[in-house]
Parts: sequence; C-alpha cells; structure tokens
Amino acid sequence: MHISEGVLSPGVLIAGAGLTAAGVAVGLRKLETKEIPSVGILSAAFFVASLIHVPIGPASIHLILNGMLGIILGWKAFPAVLVGLALQALLFQFGGITTLGVNTLNMAFPAVVCYYLFGWGIRIGNRRLVFILSAFAGGSCAVFLGSVMVGLSLYLSGEAFLPAAKVVVAAHLPVMVIEGGLTAVCALFLRRVKPELLEGAYVPKQSS
Amino acid sequence: MCRNSHRSQRVVRGRHLFFCLLFTVLWLVFFNAPASAHKVTIFAWVEGDTVHTQSKIGAGKRAKGARVLVFDSKGNRLLEGKTDEKGEFSFKIPKKTDLKVVLKASMGHMAEWKIPADEIGAVGDVSGSTVPEINVKSGIEEAVRSTDVKPGLEAVSLTRQEVQDLIDKSLDRKLAPIVDMLADATDCGPKMTEVIGGIGYIFGLVGVALYFANRRKKE
Repeated sequence: MHISEGVLSPGVLIAGAGLTAAGVAVGLRKLETKEIPSVGILSAAFFVASLIHVPIGPASIHLILNGMLGIILGWKAFPAVLVGLALQALLFQFGGITTLGVNTLNMAFPAVVCYYLFGWGIRIGNRRLVFILSAFAGGSCAVFLGSVMVGLSLYLSGEAFLPAAKVVVAAHLPVMVIEGGLTAVCALFLRRVKPELLEGAYVPKQSS
Repeated sequence: MCRNSHRSQRVVRGRHLFFCLLFTVLWLVFFNAPASAHKVTIFAWVEGDTVHTQSKIGAGKRAKGARVLVFDSKGNRLLEGKTDEKGEFSFKIPKKTDLKVVLKASMGHMAEWKIPADEIGAVGDVSGSTVPEINVKSGIEEAVRSTDVKPGLEAVSLTRQEVQDLIDKSLDRKLAPIVDMLADATDCGPKMTEVIGGIGYIFGLVGVALYFANRRKKE
C-alpha cells in the first residue's frame, strides 16, 4: 500500500501532505504526556508490521495494523503512522519521501474513521462479544478504507478508479481478515493486561 | 470459589491466545523474511543490440504482467511492453540515447532504471562512421597502413568490427552470471540492522518527546 515516488500528480501530493499535516497537528494537540510511550510502541508495531508478509493472494502484501492504531490511539494514529512511514521510506525504500503525505493520509485517515465508528465498542467493553466484534470490524475496515483511498489517490492522478481500486481491495482481502483477527486478539489481550491503554475512558481494572 | 476458577480459566485462555499470536508473528517474521519486502525493482542490462530487463515485487518474487515503459533522455516514450511469467522483458534498442526503463506495477508501485548512452554505444558504432576512431593497433593494421591500399583498409575495418563483435559477445557470455547475480542482489529486502535501527529511532523519538513534555510541565 505504499505508493511509490513519481506515480501521483503534484496536486494529489500537495493535498495529501496538507491534510496529513492537519491530522498530525490534531493528533499532537490531543497527545498527553503519559500517552507518549504507548503511541511510540504502536508506531514501532506499525513500522515492523510492514515486514510481515502475507503469502496469500495474487500480490505481495503485508500487514498494516492501521486499524489497531486507530481504535487504540484515535487521532494520535496520525503522528504514529507518519513516523512509521517516514522510517519505512528511509530505511526500507518502501514508498517515498514525496509520497509520505499521501501515504500517511491513506493509512491514518481510515484509522481515525474506524476510531469513531468502532472505538466505542472497545471503550465500553461491557460485553465480550461486542468488544471482539468491534475490534475485528475496526481492524478490517481500516484496511478496506485504506485500499479504497489508495485507489482514490491513483484515480485522482489519472488512473481509472474502479480497476485501480478493485485491484488494491482484492489484493488486501486476506489482510482484512487477518488484521481483523489480530486486532481482536490484541485488544482482548490489552483489555486483560493493560486496559488503561484502550483509551482512558475504558473501565478501570476489575477490583478483585 | 466458582467465579474464581472461572476467571483463572479465562486468564489461562488469554495467555494461550497471546502465545499463539506471538508464535504466529515470529513464524511469519522469520520464515518469510526474505520475501517480505514490499516494493518493486527493475534491473536492466544491455546484451548486444537488445536490452533485457528483470522486474521483481519484493525480494525474489517476479513481477508478472507488469507494464514496462521505455523513455529517452527527453522523456519521450519510445516503446512499451509487458513482463512475462518470469518478470522479464527484452527489447531491441530503439535508438542510441540515454534510456530510462520504467516499471509500472499495480497499486501505485513504480521503479526505474537508467541506461546511459555510452553503455549502448557499441551498437551505434557498428553501423556508424566512427569505426576508424577505435584504437586497435594491431600488426595487420600497421601493415595495411604502410601499403596504403584502400580496399585493404575496408577489409581491416571489417575485421575490427568483427573483433569487437567477438569481444562483445564473449564478454556478454562471461559476464552473464555476474549480471544475473547483480539482478538478484539489487533487492535483498530490509535487513535486521535496518529493522532494529528503525525501532530504535522510534524509541528515541519517544524519549525526546517525553523530555520536552516533562520540561514543559516543570515550567
């Protein structure tokens, strides 16, 4: 899902960079001191996730984890994704520096959308089933929306939308399922071990 | 008592899940590491009057059916083709100029490889008038020079071309394995040092952010 340099038109690049800057600003404003380590750890997870190759399906694809970042961090997913992508571009040559803005937007915006759509299920956390389902939905929806946004950026740069988006979405179908499951498992684990990570609003640790 | 055992059971189940996940992730990382990169690469080399290209998605996986575009130095598109099953695409050199070979794979992936004009110079020279410039000081040449016979010169220049062709051919043949090795080595995916370095960067950034956040709080 990393768009390479030289594929997108300058207008798309500038718009992406501008929107990403706005998103990062919002994220940093919401960032509290005690949340900095968890943002860092999730950013590191996002950074490494791209190395986990999913050998299913027609194309070479990898985990993204933007849904997990979204439902745990909300708007703070923007700075986390930006840092992860910048390091991927510099160290692995995934994507590129000029496309950093667009790529961050494509990954972080779906994360924020999923935070608003499914975050409540994870914060309330009363019913186990609701919790699992919303974590799964958050994880897979973020990948789906990300694929659509990649298709959209290609479309805005002159490619036909439906074929471009179809290819990206089809290639990421296995990732959607895997990420949904992974997000659910991780969220369940966090709920048991470190519930304060799942947004401060989550009920404090059970009094035994 | 009953609730207690129920809870401990749930904790055990949670741990099981966690370890399953951990092992899955570790397995994925270590067993698929060589094929884990997610970028496309193209490698092009000249052999005689053709240019061969090899395209890959990630390390080792060939890019099948991807578009390959060839541009000259001014950015005019000269030709276009599709990679075959092995991710390879070959074309005759259309003209003697700097060539830019661009690979366009799906999902916004792109890579390029430049071939400078002097790398393909040999092709142009064969048909061009630059042959006499080649500095082959052979005994035959000297002999012909001394006799100063025009038809003889032509014969020698032909010989020169043939010699050059022969050298080119045998060089191509000898260098083929090295070229293949280079093609394989152009992308070997992210290395462990880069991965750990990246994680280190992120933790360092966290430290810097915490430092500034704490200083702000003190003020």
